[in-house]
Amino acid sequence: MHRYCIPMSNDQNTVSKPIITMQQLMLRYPTGKVALSGVSLAISQGNFVYLTGESGAGKSTLLRMFYGGLKPSSGQMGVQQWDMRSVSESDVRELRQRTGIIFQDHKLLFSRTVFENVALPLRVQGWDKERLVPRVRKVLGFVGLDDRLWSYPEALSGGEQQRIAIARAMVTNPPIILADEPTGNLDEETARKVLDLLMSLNQSGTTVIMATHDLHLLTSHPGRVVQLHQGSLVGDSYE
Amino acid sequence: MSDRINHVPERIELRLPGGFQLPPFGIHQFLALMIVCVALWALGAVWLGLQGAQQWVGSWQGNLQLHVYLPVEKKDQLGDLKARLSTIEGVDVVRHINRKEAALWMKNWLGDTSLDVDKFSSQLPESLELTLADERNDFIFSDIRDEAARFGASVNEDEIQLANAHELLQSIRQLVLFVSVILALAMAMIVSNTLRMILLARADEVHLMRLLGAKEWFVRMPFIMEGTLLGGGAALLGWLLLWPLVLGVSSWAGSLGIALSPFTLLLPLLFGGALVGCLGAMIATAKLISPDSVDS
Repeated sequence: MHRYCIPMSNDQNTVSKPIITMQQLMLRYPTGKVALSGVSLAISQGNFVYLTGESGAGKSTLLRMFYGGLKPSSGQMGVQQWDMRSVSESDVRELRQRTGIIFQDHKLLFSRTVFENVALPLRVQGWDKERLVPRVRKVLGFVGLDDRLWSYPEALSGGEQQRIAIARAMVTNPPIILADEPTGNLDEETARKVLDLLMSLNQSGTTVIMATHDLHLLTSHPGRVVQLHQGSLVGDSYE
Repeated sequence: MSDRINHVPERIELRLPGGFQLPPFGIHQFLALMIVCVALWALGAVWLGLQGAQQWVGSWQGNLQLHVYLPVEKKDQLGDLKARLSTIEGVDVVRHINRKEAALWMKNWLGDTSLDVDKFSSQLPESLELTLADERNDFIFSDIRDEAARFGASVNEDEIQLANAHELLQSIRQLVLFVSVILALAMAMIVSNTLRMILLARADEVHLMRLLGAKEWFVRMPFIMEGTLLGGGAALLGWLLLWPLVLGVSSWAGSLGIALSPFTLLLPLLFGGALVGCLGAMIATAKLISPDSVDS
């Protein structure tokens, strides 16, 4: 395990221990394209962060780096307790078990029931079958879908599917949730409900990092806005 | 009430992916099962045939004997002939079959008869029984023939033919062993291709499990188990299908003194089938790459 600790004393927004730190982070794909360049940022435990920027700005790339899907080409990056430049395979697995991920396309398994989808992270972590049902029912209760435990995802609306994805991300009670445009395919009303859920999670202490284009949501759901442009950090403010 | 709602309803069958949970059985698996079953059945039938042939040539015990006959009028040369035959390379033991033993053999051979066995046995030539250490020695039979001819004795040519057949069976056995290995590899590839199709169909599931931090054994174990069970199941089915064949030829085989036993093939087929299935599954999952893999 590679512990990481970079002092970020110049970040006046840090109110508690940073859960993610980056300094002069750069990512270059094998094709030579530079996806991220010179990004320095610290995200504290309990922050609600919007990652914004145009398509191709590097939002999804940065999110992928947070769960070990991509390794930095240069610079420094610490996520939770790991140095992402020298992280091992087993460390990445442990990091992913402590990270909830929500995708724009949900990545739900349509041949499995809602229960089986939501229980999957618990099963990966070795939970007994007997303990799964109460835990999954409780989490589905939080997203308002505890009556759909044995339904299949295809029988649910887009908003309900996204709520199932949120339930799956939060079922292991991770300290951080990454959401890649979770409201991208939803109408405004449904998007607000999804964001309400993420805000509720954040209020219970979970760090939420969400890549989004829907800037109008900021008026009803304020948070820290980190703006990327062509792979560089161009803004960091609270709105 | 809370106990009831927190249990899986009886009509629901949990199919949680990963770990020691088998994937659902579909048409691809059924086809692979049938193909591997037919191949293993054919292999079992060939090995059974070899077993029968070995029994027929009397080499089941692996103890080959040859008899040399010396006319009664030359019995004073018996000691010299025995000494000469003992010096031939590849001849292990030379034993004289005395007249009493020969008479007993003839009595058994003739069975319940009113004939005077002693009178017949007195006409028998002197017999020497040669136990061979190695019948694959190219010159052993001609050496024995030469020595026997020098003393005016003769060799039982039927026994020489059986010895040659035994040698031929050894070669066939090697060939069958080679074919078995080739067929095993082909079966492993069939299982591998089947599982590869299933893996393609379930790539999202594998990808998701990895995104959730699943260990590699957890992701691959269902496929390894499926391959092993597919091979083992096909072997069991193939073994069961050997019985109609054995029962069908039993009366003919019985007339040749052959008793075929499929039970000797049960464990080798089961173990071999499971091994082949496991190998196929390991080949299929060897390059199981997902986006966002650690090294991608």
